Amino acid sequence: MLRVQDLVTAYGKIEALKGVSLEVAQGSITCLLGPNGAGKTTLMMTVAGLLKPRSGSIRFLDRDIASLPPHAIVSRGIALVPENRLVFPGMNVLENLRAGAYQRSDAFDEDIDRVFTRFPRLKERSAQLAGTLSGGEQQMLAVARALMSRPKLLLMDEPSLGLAPLVVEEIFRIIAELHREGSTIFLVEQNAHMALRVAQHFFLIEQGRVTFSGDPGSLAEDEVIRRAYLGSAR
Amino acid sequence: MALLADFIQNTLDGLTAGASYALLALGFTLIFGVLRRANLSYGPAILFGAYCATWISASFQVGLLVLFVITVGGTVLAGAYVERLCFAPHRRGSAIAAMVASFALWMQFEELATLALPRHLYGFPALYEGGPLIFGPFFLRVESVVMLLTGIAICAALWAILYRSRFGTAVRAVIDDPAAAELSGINVPRVFIQVFALASAIGGLTGFLIVSSQEQVTPMLGMWSTLKGMLAMMLGGLGSLPGAVAGGLALGLLEAHSQWYLGPQVRDLLAYLLLFVLLALRAPWMSTRSAY
Amino acid sequence: MDEHAIGVLTNIALFSFVALSAYLLLLAGELSFGQQAFFGVGAYAAGIATAMLGLPLPLAVLIAMVCGAAAAVLVGLPTLRLRGLYFAMATLAAAEMLRILFELFRWQVEIDGEAVGPDGTQGFRGIRWIFERGVEPLHFLVIAWLLLGVVVVMLMLVERSKLGAAIRAIGEDPPLAGAVGVDVGRLKLGVAAAAGALAALGGALFAHHNTYIEPRNFDIMLGVHSLAYALIGGLGTALGPLLGVALDIGLLESTRIFEGYRMIVFGGLVAVLLVWRPRGLLDERVVHWLRTRFS
Repeated sequence: MLRVQDLVTAYGKIEALKGVSLEVAQGSITCLLGPNGAGKTTLMMTVAGLLKPRSGSIRFLDRDIASLPPHAIVSRGIALVPENRLVFPGMNVLENLRAGAYQRSDAFDEDIDRVFTRFPRLKERSAQLAGTLSGGEQQMLAVARALMSRPKLLLMDEPSLGLAPLVVEEIFRIIAELHREGSTIFLVEQNAHMALRVAQHFFLIEQGRVTFSGDPGSLAEDEVIRRAYLGSAR
Repeated sequence: MALLADFIQNTLDGLTAGASYALLALGFTLIFGVLRRANLSYGPAILFGAYCATWISASFQVGLLVLFVITVGGTVLAGAYVERLCFAPHRRGSAIAAMVASFALWMQFEELATLALPRHLYGFPALYEGGPLIFGPFFLRVESVVMLLTGIAICAALWAILYRSRFGTAVRAVIDDPAAAELSGINVPRVFIQVFALASAIGGLTGFLIVSSQEQVTPMLGMWSTLKGMLAMMLGGLGSLPGAVAGGLALGLLEAHSQWYLGPQVRDLLAYLLLFVLLALRAPWMSTRSAY
Repeated sequence: MDEHAIGVLTNIALFSFVALSAYLLLLAGELSFGQQAFFGVGAYAAGIATAMLGLPLPLAVLIAMVCGAAAAVLVGLPTLRLRGLYFAMATLAAAEMLRILFELFRWQVEIDGEAVGPDGTQGFRGIRWIFERGVEPLHFLVIAWLLLGVVVVMLMLVERSKLGAAIRAIGEDPPLAGAVGVDVGRLKLGVAAAAGALAALGGALFAHHNTYIEPRNFDIMLGVHSLAYALIGGLGTALGPLLGVALDIGLLESTRIFEGYRMIVFGGLVAVLLVWRPRGLLDERVVHWLRTRFS
């Protein structure tokens, strides 16, 4: 569904992505693991259109999207739940969801109901300002908001960051649920343990390059975790 | 009793001036709220529009409606020029560069205006030919009523746009968090352009009302509009639309009363003093928005 | 050298002081719309000192600088924790207040049967110290440029020092600067005082060069121009603001190429240049490149 080839993204002189190639199969949960600074967030932001790559290609459903602005990428069917959970702090939960559906020209009340069923806590707080929600609730709202655009591919950047273990379990339960219902999810995580439990395929990225590609059984879990947190021995 | 009559008359005059300041501040605040930058060419763009209309009216016999359209059109055109040259290139870049660029264009507009129409003062067709309305000891010019009603109408229209239209949702989203807005599929650069056009249109409308009420245009209109708009915007709280209206009205009232008792220079002095003190004390309603 | 050229070069020097004043604050990360007020304070203080109190010019200039610094601190203290547009508007308000006070300020003494002194909106005439002592325009030019040279050299030395690094640190990331031990508040106040003194120095010289000053000389346009000169010349070095002034006053005005269109050309130039170079022609990268090339 998503094919990234030889992607290079740079900040001025510093190349954060040095030629990344990977694939996300339709209907799968694919995971990108790696230590801090390896380029995971940079890759997510480049796919979402927030950063412009210097070279390389990004193809989604067989069409090139590397040069598109963020709103065009959303209209192609990709939604990003970013690392810092971006919600609209001054708007309440319901308005946040409505904003997420901005590009939808059809009626989306049904989607709102579905989101509220999936995230009952959000329904309780539907009139509350997003800025006053707890970390876990904001994360759920960010996911819910992304879902409102009915994406074909959901990108998630470190959904477990800064959340309590119970909340993390709930988030991953929802990820698994979404997958069961047919969504394709591309997930960046530091929490390798939780990620490997749900993923069908994973990539390891270190220092701007993909160093491993396989399914969760192919590397011993502690080896994966070591490389995800520390990188391979140099 | 005469004291009370003066007070009421000054209050009426103050509200009228305040309505024009509120309108100017609204335009300023729309741009500031969405782009998070101050547009110092806001007043000069209005000057451009007003001068276009003045030039046409000096050369041809045209009706007020045509002049109105030209003023608004000229302001929107000038605003688009400013947006493209000063704000679009620095969207993700330096706020200071954007603002300094905007007063570079201010210099351009001022010189252009004085080149096209070199005199210090030009007549402008009157909005209304008749005399003021009189209620006992008080009088209210019809132009003032128009200004007040326009102020109310624009506020209502803006509220409707922001809270009842899809465009308004996008605008509020961008004001709240531009990055989240991008990820929600909102075309943020296009929202900037549209908001700029809306703010310029409001500015042009206000400028037209001002020059046709006073029946004159001067090159000082540019700097004057910017100063009053920014002053009112800051008094009411940076980035807040209701604050812009409150700030404008407050400024108008302050000016009217202090001018009556203390003269025009002290009037301006007091307005600036009030702003300075409020800023120094960091009055709580003023920090609704961060930095630029 | 012909009179016109001397006049242009002198003006470049005088306005460089107020451009450097804006530049210092820009380094510390703040936009100030009010440096023109300190230019005015310096002008009035020096004028009063020589024309009314009979003091010699060097002393008058010193007094002017002290007054400029004091006024800057007076404005800077209450606004110390303001940032961004809030700070800019506060400086604008302060500058306009000062200008209006100049309009209301009347103090005249009788000298040789003539009334001399600030006369509100009528201005302050008769600041003739340099003419009464037969100082030639060329000499004055040299004096102005010598003073400017000293200031620029001092600034360049400061920039290479830890103090300079600290100032730029405040400009880039104030919380970070504070976290590494920079006393942000005191340093900002110090920069403001220095900027005020610099602008006042320029104003003192301006008053004597023109012999006549009025409140209108010190309006927002001057402040806006100073900022434009500083930013377009470049924030990488103290020579940047001088370049900005030279571009406008030197190139455009004096050559009269664009007679009547000067502001249109200069304004357009500034806006276009900033798109390409948001921190000016001599920005930090260029200066760094030049330094590595020539050392």
